[in-house]
Amino acid sequence: MKTDTETAHLRRVSHWKIYLVTLLIAFGAVFVLSLNLGYAPIPFSDILTILAKQVPILQNLVDSSSITQTAEVIITQIRLPRVICGALVGAALATAGVTYQGIFRNPMADPYIIGASTGASVGSALVIVLGVGVSLLGVNTLQILAFVGSLTTVLLVYTISRVGSRVPVTTLLLTGIAVSLFQNAIVTYMKTIASDKLLHGLTFWIIGSLAPTENWEKVWAVLPLIIVGAVVAYMYSRDLNILALGEDQAQHLGVEIEKVKRILLVSGALMTAAAVSISGLIGFVGLIIPHLTRVLIGPDHRVLLPTSAIVGAAFLMICDALSRVVMGSGEAPVGIITALSGAPFFIFLLRRKKKGYAV
Amino acid sequence: MVLLTIGDIDCSYGSVNVLKDVHFAVKSGEFLGILGPNGSGKTTLLRSISRVLKPQKGVILIDDKDIYGMKSVDVAKQLAVVPQSTPVTFDFTSLEVVLMGRNPHMPRFKMESKEDLAIARNSMELTRTWEFADRPVTELSGGEMQRVIIARALTQEPKILLLDEPTTHLDISNQLEIMDLIKHLCKTKELLIVAVFHDFNLAARYCDSIILLNDGKIVAVGKSNETLTSENVRKVFSVDTIVKKHPVTGFLHVIPLSRPINQQQKSLSIHLICGCGTGSPLMKILKDEGYFVTAGVLNLLDTDQETAQLLKIPITSEAPFSPITEDAHTANLKMISKANVIVITPTQFGDGNLRNLDAAETALKEGIPVILLEDGSIEERDFTNGKATNYLTKLKNNGAITVKNTSELLHLLDKLENKNNKNSHQKKEP
Repeated sequence: MKTDTETAHLRRVSHWKIYLVTLLIAFGAVFVLSLNLGYAPIPFSDILTILAKQVPILQNLVDSSSITQTAEVIITQIRLPRVICGALVGAALATAGVTYQGIFRNPMADPYIIGASTGASVGSALVIVLGVGVSLLGVNTLQILAFVGSLTTVLLVYTISRVGSRVPVTTLLLTGIAVSLFQNAIVTYMKTIASDKLLHGLTFWIIGSLAPTENWEKVWAVLPLIIVGAVVAYMYSRDLNILALGEDQAQHLGVEIEKVKRILLVSGALMTAAAVSISGLIGFVGLIIPHLTRVLIGPDHRVLLPTSAIVGAAFLMICDALSRVVMGSGEAPVGIITALSGAPFFIFLLRRKKKGYAV
Repeated sequence: MVLLTIGDIDCSYGSVNVLKDVHFAVKSGEFLGILGPNGSGKTTLLRSISRVLKPQKGVILIDDKDIYGMKSVDVAKQLAVVPQSTPVTFDFTSLEVVLMGRNPHMPRFKMESKEDLAIARNSMELTRTWEFADRPVTELSGGEMQRVIIARALTQEPKILLLDEPTTHLDISNQLEIMDLIKHLCKTKELLIVAVFHDFNLAARYCDSIILLNDGKIVAVGKSNETLTSENVRKVFSVDTIVKKHPVTGFLHVIPLSRPINQQQKSLSIHLICGCGTGSPLMKILKDEGYFVTAGVLNLLDTDQETAQLLKIPITSEAPFSPITEDAHTANLKMISKANVIVITPTQFGDGNLRNLDAAETALKEGIPVILLEDGSIEERDFTNGKATNYLTKLKNNGAITVKNTSELLHLLDKLENKNNKNSHQKKEP
């Protein structure tokens, strides 16, 4: 015997599948559209043919005779890695945002506020200024230092704000803000002392841009880190749900709270560092995408995490595509686009549904 | 059947010792209440029993297993907690929150099954929350939310339920409904219940036994009527109370009087002629003001007699429902002769207690001031065909003073007190 509410609940669960499928289709469309946008015009049909050519089974089914060598190189060697990086960075920041908001039970927590992003930026800026960017075994020192900076900052913030065996949200957020302001100052100082040659790269990178990601090396460098981080976060999605009732109650419901928090903080830092290391500081994605997705599908982290990842990926791909076209021949850093579109949207969200989202 | 044993635990936050040598045991079907002033360690005790705050010393056992040696999930299968309030960050629906109670029973990657849903539904129907199952908890009222949290606790299918002042923020009807439900579950499902209260009457109404906690130590433990005594309450809360069985509900009833006032003892001794409860408030007020108070003649079981007993006021008494005998009258006159002032309250007069007015007349003749507290209703209070009214008129004519209310009385007594002090001073001078 099923009542309406029971059916409604089950329907809601099955709706998740519909949402996921719809979002994946939209994601695919954005993906192809992003590949289309750029200085050299390449028609959609050619893009699809080139993409199909990369897949072993489809390879023989498509006629690739009309495709020029140049077009293929532009798509596979320049645009494809950049679009994939955009998707990865968007997904990583959104997932890290959901994770941090869940752990700290605060819709304002995001990779920036708790210092994960700025920590990574200090590490990265250090590498740029000192000129020690070397690649070892496919991973370069910049990424390693970004991760070290991010994780150290998160752990530092976590340790400072820890009272006894627990971490009250308020002290954590305040510590996070203080520490990230401190780190911003360090990065700004590095900017002042940097030589003119480095300054442009550093500025571009501090604002956040996907321009330096037009090679596959970057994709391979961050892909495993982001996948590991996201999978770990997903494994603890039910614990994140229960955390919404507060830490004591989560513990009463069998959640090993301190262990779960530690694991999720590390996975969040991992995703943030990976994103920051290839794209610099891209703001608002980690704050807005979780909000938007929560309005769409509800607060259940088991579905919120994957959908936020897809929405975040699509969002950043769109922003990056815009950054490539709005200025004509030049390129606006994507961080500016995310901030310009994100901030008003965020304010709109707060105004529209104050209750439950109020900060 | 499950047994919860708290064995000599010490708990502290940092260097502050919060609990010292606390030990007790509860078993299935029992309802244990913990009472104590703020900061006495009640919540700390509950937190350590719920495996959140590990005690520095001692053990907490479910049957014979140390809960701090068990996995969090395994404890959650047996023990659920309902806190004072639950602020929820995101707008989960009531059903989603209740389903979280299934967490300890679910493998990591499973979604809730139909059985889980059925269990959640059952506990939501018990707590009358099913009707708003799909409403976001952020939109619920305090009472609705607390019922959802209880439903969530029941969905854990626990054997032990811990409650931390579960009805503090609720109105009286919600309080009773929730506590009735918990009591019902305790008896029908053999749930073991440990609840922190700060309302004596709620505790007395629902608990089988009560622990009184003060400064982290157990002051008293036992059946509700053994622990909830006015002596114990004064020891723990430094408040004077009247503890008696309520005539209608049959439950113990704790009525707070006031914190004891360190009033300087005054020189006047006041004798009250009262009855039927008309003297009770006055006894308390005069005593708090520092006067020495006596009363009589009062029939045993009269409200005023009971109050006098609680306030330890000396009285002359007569057998229940009996007219004042010669012996009692004589004893009363003796008591009156030691008094400095007589106060007659607006009580009812019948042939049984008319002698008290006779005593007042005697006092007036001996020069002891008599004060009549009048509310102008003598006709309604006179059941002696006017004899009492005559007595009172005679008293007034012979110099008894009439006051309209307690503040006038206190004002007058104050003047008499000053005069009395001056007199005794002058007497000493020569």
